[in-house]
Amino acid sequence: MIQLDDVSYAYPDTDHFVLSHMNLSIPAGSVTGIVGASGAGKTTLAKILSGFIPHVDGGELSGTVVVDGVTIAEASLADAVSHVGLVIQSPFNQISGAKFTVREELAFGLENLGVPRDEMAVRVAEVADLLGITGLLDRSPYALSGGQQQLVAIASMIIMRTPVLVMDEPTSQLDPGGTRMVFDVMSSLRDSGITLVIFEHKLELLREHADVVHVLADHQLIAHGPSRAMLADPRMEEWGIGSTRFTAAASEARTKKLLPADVELPVSIEDAATVFASFASSKGA
Amino acid sequence: MSSTLFDNRKSVIHRLNPVTKLIALLAIIVTVFAIPLWWVAGLIIVLVVVPAAVISGSGGRLLSLSLRILLPIMLVLFIVQGLTFPGGKTIIWQWGIIDVTSEGLLFALGIGSRIIVLVLASILLVLTTHPGDLMSALTERGMSPKFAYIISSTLQLIPAFKDRADSILLAQQARGLSLKGNPLRRIKIMLPLLSPLVLGMFTDVEERSTAMEARAFGSTARRTSLIPVADSMVQRIARWLFIVLALAAVATPILLGLL
Repeated sequence: MIQLDDVSYAYPDTDHFVLSHMNLSIPAGSVTGIVGASGAGKTTLAKILSGFIPHVDGGELSGTVVVDGVTIAEASLADAVSHVGLVIQSPFNQISGAKFTVREELAFGLENLGVPRDEMAVRVAEVADLLGITGLLDRSPYALSGGQQQLVAIASMIIMRTPVLVMDEPTSQLDPGGTRMVFDVMSSLRDSGITLVIFEHKLELLREHADVVHVLADHQLIAHGPSRAMLADPRMEEWGIGSTRFTAAASEARTKKLLPADVELPVSIEDAATVFASFASSKGA
Repeated sequence: MSSTLFDNRKSVIHRLNPVTKLIALLAIIVTVFAIPLWWVAGLIIVLVVVPAAVISGSGGRLLSLSLRILLPIMLVLFIVQGLTFPGGKTIIWQWGIIDVTSEGLLFALGIGSRIIVLVLASILLVLTTHPGDLMSALTERGMSPKFAYIISSTLQLIPAFKDRADSILLAQQARGLSLKGNPLRRIKIMLPLLSPLVLGMFTDVEERSTAMEARAFGSTARRTSLIPVADSMVQRIARWLFIVLALAAVATPILLGLL
């Protein structure tokens, strides 16, 4: 579904490669998390996956990027965006500025594609219901809080129904409830066959929802693995990504020999509960 | 948050197709500027603008907004033209070296009445037409979506950027910046604040263009509109009638030798 072969990229007017000799393979219908420290190149990679590099940002891109069967460098931007959607970091900038209500804002992309009015109305109602923003439909997008704007921004891309959706820190302005809802929506999108690539710092939620996590550091994807194994990897601290409180606590307990050396470190509270239960049963508690 | 002045009501005027209202406005403007008679402008105000404002229910807001714009303009116009009109011979009031001539006042009345019609009719259009509906109606009639976007986004984004400027100012004030003092000093203090605002705006524009393309703004498909824009045969006929009236207004002074 997504295939990157030996991809390197430098922004215009620089000879500094932000990404270097990168390879990546993401199967269709999966949820992939990509983590990396600030400045690691996550946004750049998100733009490469969604075709904005090289079509908009320019610069020097080498290697091959194929998304949903389309070789991005050879396709037009309009063609690329019909295969892959991008939710950018800033919801303020994701909102078009051209529409006066959330309802019209959600329909903006569909209007551009010439989708019939009746179908647009149905899709707007569906996506608003999915993200719990039906009550906001008649409000101005600019009269919303940052979190509400982020939900509208996400909805405005989900409604496009692209087979691949790339999300660059999609929950940065959401409260815990909103964040969980967005991740639940992602799960339901995956169930409907959409391939999701999520650039995110919220490791516990990635553990829960991502099938595979890749680590971006030193201009390359340097490691990947199943979400729990990858996010509990002790090198996550070295890579500047950090770990969850559950991983940190269990790691400390293991160092102090309170936990066996071969225990799989937890990432989320569910993992921690499982580790604790198995430890307790081994001690006959 | 939006700079739109739209007065959300359900009147007949509000429900008219935005293009009908726009053509009516243009016809009115062409008429008052083509026929150089102050009473024509007066008739249009009495017979068209005032009834439309009353029917729309937005008369109060129209009056309040118009007065704020028109009072200073009219004051300056009548003082300057009344006192300095070059062909003024008939003095109707004199005080020291100041002469107010009837020719000057009549000239001011001619210009002023046109400005009044222009302002009243334009504000009435803005008050009774949702900008989104206007853009949809114009796009449906072949206006470039990019041009429609420029107009709509200007209305929406200027207040949004003002908010950003306020945030930058607040952040600086929180760090001890004092805005007290004379206007010159304040301008001097404010200038460095422009840099984060302008740089931030450039970043925003770049990001927004990416987001717009992600939502198929560059698509060549024939665009559709979520919000239906009402139209009728009566309105279609009315639009042609307005155009004919405007053309007649242009022709009348030539035929009557008024120009």
